[in-house]
Amino acid sequence: MDRELEDVWRRESPHVLGALVRRYGHFDACEDAVQEALLSAAVHWPSEGLPANPRGWLIRAASRRLVDALRSDRARSDRETAASLLDPEQAPVLGGDDSLQVLLLCCHPSLTPASQVALTLRAVGGLTTEQIAAAFLVPVATTGQRISRAKARLAAAGARLGDVTRADLPSRVESARQALYLIFNEGYAATGGADLLDVSLTTEAIRLARELHRRLPSDSETAGLLALMLLTEARRAARTDARGDLVPLADQDRSRWDRSLIAEGVRLVEAALPSGPVGPFQLQAAIAAVHGEAAAYADTDWPQIAELYRMLEAAAPGPVVTMNRAVAVAMSEGPDAALAMLDPLLREPALVRVHRLHAIRAHLLEQAGRFAEARNAFGEAARLATSTPEQRYLLRKAAAIAE
Amino acid sequence: MKYVILIHSNPQPWGHPTGEYIAENQALPAEQRERLNAEFERLLTEMSENGELVHGEALADPSTSTLYRWSGGEPLATDGPYSESKEHLAGFFLIDVAGPERAQEIAHAFSGPGETVELRPAMWPGGEEH
Repeated sequence: MDRELEDVWRRESPHVLGALVRRYGHFDACEDAVQEALLSAAVHWPSEGLPANPRGWLIRAASRRLVDALRSDRARSDRETAASLLDPEQAPVLGGDDSLQVLLLCCHPSLTPASQVALTLRAVGGLTTEQIAAAFLVPVATTGQRISRAKARLAAAGARLGDVTRADLPSRVESARQALYLIFNEGYAATGGADLLDVSLTTEAIRLARELHRRLPSDSETAGLLALMLLTEARRAARTDARGDLVPLADQDRSRWDRSLIAEGVRLVEAALPSGPVGPFQLQAAIAAVHGEAAAYADTDWPQIAELYRMLEAAAPGPVVTMNRAVAVAMSEGPDAALAMLDPLLREPALVRVHRLHAIRAHLLEQAGRFAEARNAFGEAARLATSTPEQRYLLRKAAAIAE
Repeated sequence: MKYVILIHSNPQPWGHPTGEYIAENQALPAEQRERLNAEFERLLTEMSENGELVHGEALADPSTSTLYRWSGGEPLATDGPYSESKEHLAGFFLIDVAGPERAQEIAHAFSGPGETVELRPAMWPGGEEH
């Protein structure tokens, strides 16, 4: 399929959905109609060429389908929908830009994060249920259930387009950022099967984060989120080797990092940090920026990274942040100080089965020259790992120390 | 995160749902059995509606299985069961949930007297950057 045409209809889909919902209500039915219009575009555009006004074309196509659907519904149920609303020739008028409202609706607090993600990818990203299912490695029927359930829940909660009050806006935008970050991470963590997918979740998440940043340029956390995504994506080519095995940051070939993405990410985070409240996304982006600017792993400004993690731990405490902070402390102050930071985590029953804790401890023990303990910790981490590439890496480390 | 829930059981005679053919379950007061069954059905419906239940299968009597073991350089087929142990694999569910807490909650609710429910994380092909 022609990538350019697909980009156009995917970019237009939230605008089309917003216009329909604003005119007709019925988010659920409108969303189905937009999906059908996109499928129709996939059939017609490659042979007939891009229409002069793609958005208008999609709105007309979706409106016709929506009116048909509502008419057949109406024949069965009550006649609540006014006949005047059902004239397909009276296509909705575009009023401003509704795509942000659609995103905020998809991230409604009545939905679980998994539902927000699936609905956002479909209603805002314009992906088909099949594409979303393939990206998340679950059956199409399962994804279809998640989407239709999410729409039913929105209807039950009485959620409407544009119902976000000024007081609600920060928390709704926060939910939207979290959903976009989940989408990004899902795409970034996947190493296998990427060639089999016709859509990249990281590209999609970056595209949507760009849109959100364009709508809310003064929101510093949104800028931080976009910067974090760009700075992470910049390392993609270097994070796996020819066999598809994971390459840790320390061993990555930095000549394969995407310098233009790093430059853009650094610019964004440098502009965001002084401009507003400093939140977790900006701090994580600042950490990624320090890594991005180091010519070699040994040149990394570890004291600065340790300080940024200390700030992140204060802003958003959690075991993963503490573990990452320990790595930075080990690099700037030595492994003993870092191992002492991990000891309390090892005593927590909920964390003792987390492979990452043992993997980090293993690296620190190796750094400290405590090889027998390091070998055991790598073995323990491998036992607990549920990612095949990480498990292979940890088993290699354990075996290398044993020799 | 994906998990497999394995139901280890030995219904007599072999049948599904396994609880109906297990003495410990039959011995429960009728009211309690009905409540447990209703809770299980409610959870299963919820999980298939919200997309957490990816797949599930009930398995045939273990005596109907065929085992393939390597022997003399090639596979040799014999009739099952796999082991003479007290319990056999009676069925499985593949679930996809937000995290370990939810998986534990589901496995807890799938448990019944006289059976062992095993919750195992599935491996996945991705990985986090270190």
